[in-house]
Amino acid sequence: MIQVDIETSPQATDPRFATDVYSSRINELVFDSLVRLDNHGRFEPHLAESYERRGAEQIVFHMRHSVRFSDGREVTARDIKFTFDSILDPANASPKRGALMHIKSIDAPDDYTVVMATDGPYAPALTSAMQEIVPVGTPLPGKSGSVAPAGAGPFRMVSFHRDESVVLERNPYYRATADSPRMILFKVVPDPTVRALELTEGICDFSENNIQPEVLPYLSTQPQLKIIKSPGTSYRYVAFNFNDPRLRDARVRRAIAYAIDRDAIVNSMMLGTARVASGLLSPQNWAYDGDVAKYPFDPAKSRELLEQAGYSVGADNMRNLRFIYKTTPEQLRFATALQAMLKRVGIELDIRSNEFATFYSDVQHGNFDLMSLQWVGFSDPDHYYSIFDSKMMPPIGMNRGHYSNPEMDRLLDAGRTTLDVDARRKIYGQVQQLAADELPYVSLWWDDIVIVMNRDLSGFEPTPSGSLRSLATVRIAPPENPN
Amino acid sequence: MTGYIVRRIAAVIPVAIGVATLTFLIIHLVPGDPVVAMLGDTAPQADIEGMRHRLGLDRPLPEQFVSFLCGLLHGDLGESITFRRSVSSLISERYPATLELAGAGMLVAIAIAFPLGFIAGAKPGGAGDVASMGFAIAGISIPHIYLGPLLMIVFSLDLRWLPLTGRGGFAHLVLPAITLGTALAAILARMLRQSLITVRESDYMRTALSKGLTPRAALLRHGLRNSLTSVVTLIGLQIGGLLSGALITEIIFSWPGLGRLLISAINLRDYPLVEGCVLTFAMTYVVVNLLTDLTYAFIDPRVRYS
Repeated sequence: MIQVDIETSPQATDPRFATDVYSSRINELVFDSLVRLDNHGRFEPHLAESYERRGAEQIVFHMRHSVRFSDGREVTARDIKFTFDSILDPANASPKRGALMHIKSIDAPDDYTVVMATDGPYAPALTSAMQEIVPVGTPLPGKSGSVAPAGAGPFRMVSFHRDESVVLERNPYYRATADSPRMILFKVVPDPTVRALELTEGICDFSENNIQPEVLPYLSTQPQLKIIKSPGTSYRYVAFNFNDPRLRDARVRRAIAYAIDRDAIVNSMMLGTARVASGLLSPQNWAYDGDVAKYPFDPAKSRELLEQAGYSVGADNMRNLRFIYKTTPEQLRFATALQAMLKRVGIELDIRSNEFATFYSDVQHGNFDLMSLQWVGFSDPDHYYSIFDSKMMPPIGMNRGHYSNPEMDRLLDAGRTTLDVDARRKIYGQVQQLAADELPYVSLWWDDIVIVMNRDLSGFEPTPSGSLRSLATVRIAPPENPN
Repeated sequence: MTGYIVRRIAAVIPVAIGVATLTFLIIHLVPGDPVVAMLGDTAPQADIEGMRHRLGLDRPLPEQFVSFLCGLLHGDLGESITFRRSVSSLISERYPATLELAGAGMLVAIAIAFPLGFIAGAKPGGAGDVASMGFAIAGISIPHIYLGPLLMIVFSLDLRWLPLTGRGGFAHLVLPAITLGTALAAILARMLRQSLITVRESDYMRTALSKGLTPRAALLRHGLRNSLTSVVTLIGLQIGGLLSGALITEIIFSWPGLGRLLISAINLRDYPLVEGCVLTFAMTYVVVNLLTDLTYAFIDPRVRYS
């Protein structure tokens, strides 16, 4: 058995309702979907054997035969239809409904064919096909006596104790090699020091992105542990509130970008566990374009831009901004560093820290000048639409800074309705350039995937998204023979 | 005494209503939206409004409050918005773990405090007093967040005597209970010492000594019992500190108690669950203090309830 330490408890064991990180990570091991992402953010068939676009508004999936849920039932197109229909039914109040609203219908003309129709040309439709599938008739959470629905993934969930542990056991109907793990225990260990201690003592075998960077050098000296670091896609940024006339001036936003020494933050605060970001999309994304405006640390240029914008040092008309963030030790350190850096160019940053719900309410209501958050788990560049399109301002979208640019809107509309991949790549190249010029966000860094694991485990392949799917194929070295 | 108990139990009702009112107002007035936390900010506005209506959150606050109070009077704490299960079932899953931890912490505190307090109070200024009060100062000064990992390193990792984290048998309880009970032990030991020093000057102690009892025997037989009233009062008052300390200890030792459920509920603005958890903590405090008051009669037969 492998023990994996996680910092918070998964919230939901039913993939129709699970949106938090650890539910998603664990559900990937229990459930399967029509398609999955490869390491470059490209789709590869899974429950589907192949798929094809039929016109601009339909995708037809041809399913594999003889794939079984962990209860022995065969996975058919009816299960796919049931899963999507139950998410889309407003009566069921699934938090995933919003992301699937573009789906007009899901049909199962026979047991092995699924037809997904969208309400117009919609390029990112395949992201919807990553939804994990449950069997027909699966009751809603709280209305079933079982731990979790049956899934077609490599494991089945045998126990779930909220805030304690989740135990997975091999799905008997899933192909597996002899030396791959039979069981995985996900143990909820909220304290970071205790997670590190459990790794040191061999109690925990595996942890991903939940060890404090300052502890990594010590763990790297432990002979029984190995540390794997690879590029990730989680993106940290500072957003501006465009409702503030001062921040509507691009020179002010650029001045702030030039004032932030991101290399120093990545090296000193993140201790090299992140890379300075040029935009939302990391180099691991198929649509990444790194040829965009960059803002290296340059306080002199920052002061010059502020002067040009009419905010001279010592004047009362600006130089006082409110920065909000969610209370975590890491965010506190970043906020303090940001405050010190902006002070060098004459900007007084008033930092306000709150627990997540209050912070999030302030973000939604625009009660900030600057705020910092992170995007995790997106795969398609259409995510730009949700955050920068002028139609997506709260409460209906995530353009929380109220950024509006008709050219950006045009490009984002084109990006989501253009089906040709090369044409989309060009469009999103323009989007990335425009975002870097206009700076609705100052890009900070992309987090690395940092895995600390027992040396006896081999074969784990990290993915940029942080998926733990590869745990299913990890090999455990047999104990050494004392003779 | 029966009349006293009935009156005290009756007094619990206004306390419960007061706590429920305060909790309801605070959690509803702080920023944050349970429906957005539940459905996400990509949810269609119609869904958000539909859910708000279904949960009754679109009704005026006074109406929501009356509905909450009516449910409470019928013993119904409502349904958790996040977990889609009854609040009482969620609390009943977690409450035993918290009670177990708090109870064990209290036992550890008493087991440490009484010998230390007695040694210190028996001979003020002596070596035992200095050592005991040194421990007391250290116990109060070391925060749970430091003491817990320190105990883990020594007893779980170096000596391998006890499990590191989680809830299981007796062995799992030892380190969290010591972590939780140490600070309280220090406070109780100081209080007992002070009471014993005061009691030593009493007439009945002088009488006991003049009858030929040794100072230690006089203190044990007569002084200790008379000192207990103030210590027991302190135990009752400290239960609140013990429960809030349990919250931190639960995090350090991955203990699946009510405190962690309450933190999740606050973060998700799960109103019914927050109200249920806070009410449970408050009622625990009230009941423990009632039991404390009733204990006085057993400690000191002169105490009469009227």
